[in-house]
Amino acid sequence: MGTKRGPSDVGEESASRRRRDEGPIHDVGLPEDQDIEEDYFDKLVVPKHATMDAIAQSHNFQRDSVSYIFGDHDYTWLPLKQDHESRPLWITEDGHIILEGFSPIAEKAIDFLITIAEPVSRPSHIHEYKLTPYSLYAAVSVGLETEDIIEVLSRLSKVPVPDSILGLIRDCTLSYGKVKLVLKHNRYFVESSHPEMLQTLLRDPIIKESRLIGEEDSANTGGLITGKAPNAKDLSIPGVKKDIADPNKLAAAATSAAAAGAAGAASSTQRDDEIFAVVGLDKDDDDAENDDVHSFEINSQSVETVKKRCNELDYPMLEEYDFRNDTLNPDLEIDLKPITVIRPYQEKSLSKMFGNGRARSGIIVLPCGAGKTLVGITAACTVKKSTLVLCTSSVSVLQWKQQFLLWSNIKPHQIAMFTSDQKEKFLGAAGIVISTYSMVANTRNRSHDSQKMMNFLKSREWGFLLLDEVHVVPANMFRKVLTTIAAHAKLGLTATLVREDEKIDDLNFLIGPKLYEANWMDLASRGHIANVQCAEVWCPMTPAFYREYLRETSRKRTLLYVMNPNKFQACQYLIRYHEERGDKIIVFSDNVYALVAYARKLEKPFIYGETSQQERVRILQNFQHNPKINTIFLSKVGDTSIDLPEATCLIQVSSHYGSRRQEAQRLGRILRAKRRNDEGFNAFFYSLVSKDTQEMYYSTKRQQFLIDQGYAFKVITNLDGMDQEQDLVYSTPTEQLSLLQSVLLAQESEADLNDDVEPDVDDLTGNTSRRSGSGGGSVLSHVGTSIAGGSGGAKRTVGGLKSLSGGDQMAYIEYNKAVNLKDKDKNKGEHHALFKKYYNKK
Amino acid sequence: MVQHDTSVKQIILGLNEKGQFIIEDLDDTHVFVDASCVEQLRLDIDEILNENTYKVEESK
Repeated sequence: MGTKRGPSDVGEESASRRRRDEGPIHDVGLPEDQDIEEDYFDKLVVPKHATMDAIAQSHNFQRDSVSYIFGDHDYTWLPLKQDHESRPLWITEDGHIILEGFSPIAEKAIDFLITIAEPVSRPSHIHEYKLTPYSLYAAVSVGLETEDIIEVLSRLSKVPVPDSILGLIRDCTLSYGKVKLVLKHNRYFVESSHPEMLQTLLRDPIIKESRLIGEEDSANTGGLITGKAPNAKDLSIPGVKKDIADPNKLAAAATSAAAAGAAGAASSTQRDDEIFAVVGLDKDDDDAENDDVHSFEINSQSVETVKKRCNELDYPMLEEYDFRNDTLNPDLEIDLKPITVIRPYQEKSLSKMFGNGRARSGIIVLPCGAGKTLVGITAACTVKKSTLVLCTSSVSVLQWKQQFLLWSNIKPHQIAMFTSDQKEKFLGAAGIVISTYSMVANTRNRSHDSQKMMNFLKSREWGFLLLDEVHVVPANMFRKVLTTIAAHAKLGLTATLVREDEKIDDLNFLIGPKLYEANWMDLASRGHIANVQCAEVWCPMTPAFYREYLRETSRKRTLLYVMNPNKFQACQYLIRYHEERGDKIIVFSDNVYALVAYARKLEKPFIYGETSQQERVRILQNFQHNPKINTIFLSKVGDTSIDLPEATCLIQVSSHYGSRRQEAQRLGRILRAKRRNDEGFNAFFYSLVSKDTQEMYYSTKRQQFLIDQGYAFKVITNLDGMDQEQDLVYSTPTEQLSLLQSVLLAQESEADLNDDVEPDVDDLTGNTSRRSGSGGGSVLSHVGTSIAGGSGGAKRTVGGLKSLSGGDQMAYIEYNKAVNLKDKDKNKGEHHALFKKYYNKK
Repeated sequence: MVQHDTSVKQIILGLNEKGQFIIEDLDDTHVFVDASCVEQLRLDIDEILNENTYKVEESK
């Protein structure tokens, strides 16, 4: 017990200011005063354990003095096992698992934990995980068995595994994932290694009905005749089959996957080892698959019903796609090029997906810049069936296509793109289609071409559905996509599985469990992604600005703290400093008004929603190749999917409220820095925050995700040397006042612009519904916009509200024109006339 | 007399509009206030500043 606090104390002390607040180890717990007393007595009673020694005693003292911080989460009373020093885990009653990251067997423990639990927080020394029903569901789906989980846990734990945890594990794993829906030879089978399960299911009338009794079954079993009567006797007879995963075949599966991974024969053994290692410290997990597997076939028409029924019965089915035995869908000639090298963590994530020689549906979480695309491509190469790739914007559609051509030997004519201005089909029987979510999910009036394309997509069976940036897509859009597209295996890719609207859980059931999540810090230390120094720069508000800030309503406040002259100066100073160091800098501002003001004042190029495609390309190319252009300003358009490996420094001026995901995605822009492997190279991430404003609140919230990934934010309250800089902008009170004037004159809507710059890359569901709710009166513009809408109505709804808040102003008209221009740009010519009409209505 | 930084001064000035307690505005970082109001003032300022502080608990 004493030693328990030991390591955490170390963590505490070395932790930064914020990390302490957030408590990587002991999170929440309210410091209630009365608890101190209670805890104190608790502790006095506790020291009865044999392992207490002098050192522990001293820790014991410290523990008391800090115990109030932990409140309810003081677990000092947990009894330790005799040999606790060699065991790396703490398990608490509410499902939190705390890992000593410095333990010699930590790496293996991490592999195991990542399979069964959600990582909560992973700084360098102490990791925290949480067991949840979802994570256990995921664990079962990759083939772990209840008893194995419990056994490994108790072996690793310093403390006896609490009964409540055992209960949770048993409850969750009892029914989850035991039943699989397998598509083999184009027939659906319900499969399980536990005959009792099938028996239970078959007792259900609905499932019974959809059961298909084919000739094969009767041929196999002879005695199937009685199969209709669901009793134990005949259930064990029908369709008892050897699972494909007998030892040889398993190895074969691993080999095939590895071969697809172009790692050659050498790695096949290694991969095999890995599978066992991953599944964790316990050799017998895969044995389960060597057992007989019982299955019965169901009618393909009633698959949905059965699936639903199984969920109701609390036996959610896992979907697996036995792609190697799929004879109906034509194979796609695709393989990775021999030069392609897969990194270990990519291999590991794929091995989770193809663990038993079949494709499981699920989500793989990798940091930005860590090669998600390559994982997706490799998966596609393994499945070798027609593949549909969905991503967020037409820019990333292009990027996916290029990546496919770069890494695999697929022929250009086999890849088709389906965007608003490119509607092609691939030639041949199988191929790849790359499209965007909004194109596929859109149900409103399409152009003839896209309708044709859509019918084509719907008419096919897709072997593999690849979902890029899966976190951004609203659940209902997803459902639509998943129901219109018949895909056998689904793989979601994302860097940031967090959403402010807590809809992540939906993904678990729409796509599948999380198969793999990489550790950012780990990848950074191995040089796969760049090391980043994060800093939060506090800029004091000038008195005049702060006075106005206090007076204003919330929306205008945003503008005031973003336009804070001190922030301006800090930004200028940082740009100057880093340009001198030879860094390439991206400045992010969500607020377009501020973006333009900053960029104009500092004479730097900028890109935002209004910027035309050619202009964008020109600026980006200049940024990449022209040594004179070292800084660009980007609005929200640059958040995701813009690949700028040159950038090494990032300054964030304004941001989308408290969005943790945006913060992480922006950080992702510099993680892929080209120079990351240089000795001692660091990328820089600055977040400029106006002191004493709401921005402080948002900024702290935004950082949570990165802090959980182990990043430490330094707080810079005063930029050294800024005082000495001479010609900083807005250094005189008069200049500041005139800036304030212009800010105050700016429309309230300006403060709000951030929302409609590039809505289709963002999950605006929450915003949109809220906004359309408040702006429900603007029917006219609403109608106009939804007609004009080519891709997703969200942005236009927001535009509709604009007319309410400031529609009669020049600024507004100017602005909305911009939005529409951009749309026009994107959906070329499609609604030019409508756009005019819309414009005239104003 | 209250010493403060510039942004707190703005808060104080704002509060002053409600309940006149400032006796004299000295400079950017000092104001002279009614001694009886100091406690109340302190509470008010704390409250306003706390609005901008993020607590982990809220996110859980």
